[in-house]
Amino acid sequence: MNSEYSRAVLELAVNIGETLLENGGEISRVQETMERVAKSYGCDQFHAYVLTNGIFASMDGREDGDGAVRHVPTTRVHLGRVAGVNELSRDIASGNVPPEEAAARLAAIRKLPYTSPAASVAACAVGAGCFAVLFGGSVPEFAVAFFAGGVMQICAQKFLTGSMGKIITNILLAAIVVLFGALGTAAAAALGVAANLDQVIIGGIIPLVPGMVLTTSFRDFANGDYLSGTIRIMDALLVAGSIAVGVGAVFAVRAALTGGVL
Amino acid sequence: MAHFLIQCAVSFVATVAFAILFHVPRAQYVWCGITGMAGWACYLLYLAVSPSAPMASLLATAVLTVFSRAFAVRRRCPSTIFLICGIFPLVPGAGIYYTAYSFILGETAECVANGIETFKIAVAIALGIVVVMALPNGLFRLLEPRRSSRNP
Repeated sequence: MNSEYSRAVLELAVNIGETLLENGGEISRVQETMERVAKSYGCDQFHAYVLTNGIFASMDGREDGDGAVRHVPTTRVHLGRVAGVNELSRDIASGNVPPEEAAARLAAIRKLPYTSPAASVAACAVGAGCFAVLFGGSVPEFAVAFFAGGVMQICAQKFLTGSMGKIITNILLAAIVVLFGALGTAAAAALGVAANLDQVIIGGIIPLVPGMVLTTSFRDFANGDYLSGTIRIMDALLVAGSIAVGVGAVFAVRAALTGGVL
Repeated sequence: MAHFLIQCAVSFVATVAFAILFHVPRAQYVWCGITGMAGWACYLLYLAVSPSAPMASLLATAVLTVFSRAFAVRRRCPSTIFLICGIFPLVPGAGIYYTAYSFILGETAECVANGIETFKIAVAIALGIVVVMALPNGLFRLLEPRRSSRNP
């Protein structure tokens, strides 16, 4: 086995792992996939250690020994890319894909487009509205949560593009949900329709709630990846806390303005 | 009954909305929706029998994790895709909200009660996922689509 070949396989395996990790794959899946890919190409001496935000991999060998370290910060979750890599790794394991072709297919998977901003706003609005109904609301709550959720997603896309950090972003977005939820409820009341603000807000904040991180964290713990599970659960707690602060801040301001009555 | 059916339909739509937000491949939207709907239906059915949100969440999570593993085999897609989208109706967003709300109001007892309930639900969801994920793969392999249909 020449060193050029083993370098190519190492790079491919690490890139595959990176793609899975940054798009929401759980640790054991990342590790297993990387090892399976390397083994399929005959590199038995491949080893990988994966954390929530990093990959360490090495290829043992007298002459072709090699290694790679990657820092993988969290980006936007894209489950379509996870599914794409899953399919690619299955094809590699079945033995019909040469490394160059696999690299080309991986590059295409990494360029899979995100949902368009307009579709994201629509999905967020519909999701928020639906959750208001699931938590006991009816048509008025659906409408107001739809509005608040849509505005929240627009704000997330236009003004809060990650430069402020996760905590502040979530505080602000939760505050926006409450603010526009309250405005919508007041508007509905002016039209003679009563909407329950609690249900509106719960529906509106659900898109912010760290359900995905929490789920992946539980799966990491279940697989024995305690360190990665801990990192993720801290992330989930911080986001949940930020949402609570954002919601609470608006209520606190309103209480101060109206003289202590919420 | 009508209420139950409406709730099922709404949970289906809500889950699909999240599938779109997480960029799930289009072909899997319906299956994500079914996963979410299955979980929410179990949650409601359990609550109709006994009023314990953590127990209902445990059961519902277990059922929806079974669905996502079955779909993973059947649809040749990672189970994460169905699980992450389907779990959203069960995530204790309401618990977070009421905990924060009573905290701001200064109702300490209320706040602690809500916080503990939220924590219990989170633990129940974790248990549901962990237990079903521990089931052997062979159990789900029975559902595998026939190879001949894919590789003639």
